[in-house]
Amino acid sequence: MGSGRLKILIFFFVPVLILFIIGLIFGPLGSSFLGKEPPSIFKVPRPHVSLPAESLFHFGKLTITNTLLASWFTMLVLILLSLFLTRGMRLIPSRRQAMAEAIVEGLLNFVESVAGKKHARMIFPGVATIFIYVISNAYLALLPFFGTIGFYHDHEFVALFRAANTDVNVPLSIALMSFFFVESWGMRALGVFHYLGEFINVRQFLQGWKELFTGKIKTGPMNIVFGVINLFVGVLEIFSHLTRMLSFTFRLFGNMTAGEILILVSCFLIPLVFTIPFYSLELLIGLIQALIFSGLTLVFGTVATSPLHEESE
Amino acid sequence: MEGFASLGINLPLLVVFVINFIILFVLLRLFLYKPVLKMLDERARRTKEAMEMAEATRKQFEEAKTEIQRQIEKGREEAQAIITQAIQTGERLKEEARQEASRQAQEMIERTREEISAERERIVEDLRREFVEISIAAAEKVIRETLDREKHRKLLEETLKDSLLFKRS
Repeated sequence: MGSGRLKILIFFFVPVLILFIIGLIFGPLGSSFLGKEPPSIFKVPRPHVSLPAESLFHFGKLTITNTLLASWFTMLVLILLSLFLTRGMRLIPSRRQAMAEAIVEGLLNFVESVAGKKHARMIFPGVATIFIYVISNAYLALLPFFGTIGFYHDHEFVALFRAANTDVNVPLSIALMSFFFVESWGMRALGVFHYLGEFINVRQFLQGWKELFTGKIKTGPMNIVFGVINLFVGVLEIFSHLTRMLSFTFRLFGNMTAGEILILVSCFLIPLVFTIPFYSLELLIGLIQALIFSGLTLVFGTVATSPLHEESE
Repeated sequence: MEGFASLGINLPLLVVFVINFIILFVLLRLFLYKPVLKMLDERARRTKEAMEMAEATRKQFEEAKTEIQRQIEKGREEAQAIITQAIQTGERLKEEARQEASRQAQEMIERTREEISAERERIVEDLRREFVEISIAAAEKVIRETLDREKHRKLLEETLKDSLLFKRS
């Protein structure tokens, strides 16, 4: 039994090792070291990375980019998967219903563990959609036809599909949605004026002036000073809410683009098998980034729906 | 502004992506979250109902058990009371019998004492009579006179009666 397993390992690792050495020798590294031209089958085009997504064709004023195609592809896969998994739901679940339930219940538990049971149902759809969208974009981009099938446009190769998260507009759109989600949750939970009042916090300031006029000389100025500080903190809050969008956008964009470039370069340097570890790294990074994006949205939503000032009301 | 363009931020495209996300959000909610959450809630509700029914049944069982226990206890207590009462009655009867027996023994002792007393009286009486006879005979012998037996006897009887009376009192 032990020798059988050893044989399988040898059968697997030896070809991989051989391919690795072939790639090393005949790829750009080996050829520049040995000074020989690699044979034409091993000629890998130098990776050309453009940060803006490459446009494929124009639809009136709108440019259709390869990332837009990828985003549509993701949506199609997700919708079809949802329909397939929830067809004919029964009380005792079938295996695919169990998978759908596992996904939804896992995300719901994640949301409930942070937000508490009261607001979890309100926050759950937004957070779950962000998570599913980001991770599906990241994982579907690892399919073989992303970045390889395309056409030549002015001697430049333009791929038909490109990872959706590498187009800066996509993280920006998700960040915008996250911002609107968080503000809407805050307003729904606390009431519009109450929630907005936390940004323009003139309560203590006005109370200080009132105390000054009604004779409480001792506490009046103190409340005025604290009121000014509260006003300032409120403005800072507005600023922080807005800059969150920036950090969300560039975090996701940077990670995904860097991962794409990494894979391209590793394919170029040592062809054939060297890229495999980087693919698994991409899997990990996709999961982590989805968790971070949705998790931070969840945390900000929890903070927004919990009353920030003293519970005197 | 052209910094944005070189980064790739493109307003119409951005709007399209936001619309994409919103469409995905609505569709996922419709086809994934709503059915699955409904099923999860339904299952949780059924489980809770089943648990509550099981709990109610268990409580009923517990109550019935305690009721039975109580009945058994009551029965046992009654039996115990009957037994105690029987014992007490037995004790009482025993006590009465004992007292009766002691009373009878007392009576017998009293009677015997009285009989002995009466007997003593008789014996004393007999002795006295004997003594009277012997004294008369002795006196006849000493005096050598024939006295009237009767007169002498009466004389000595009265003497003795006086002395006995003194002894008696």
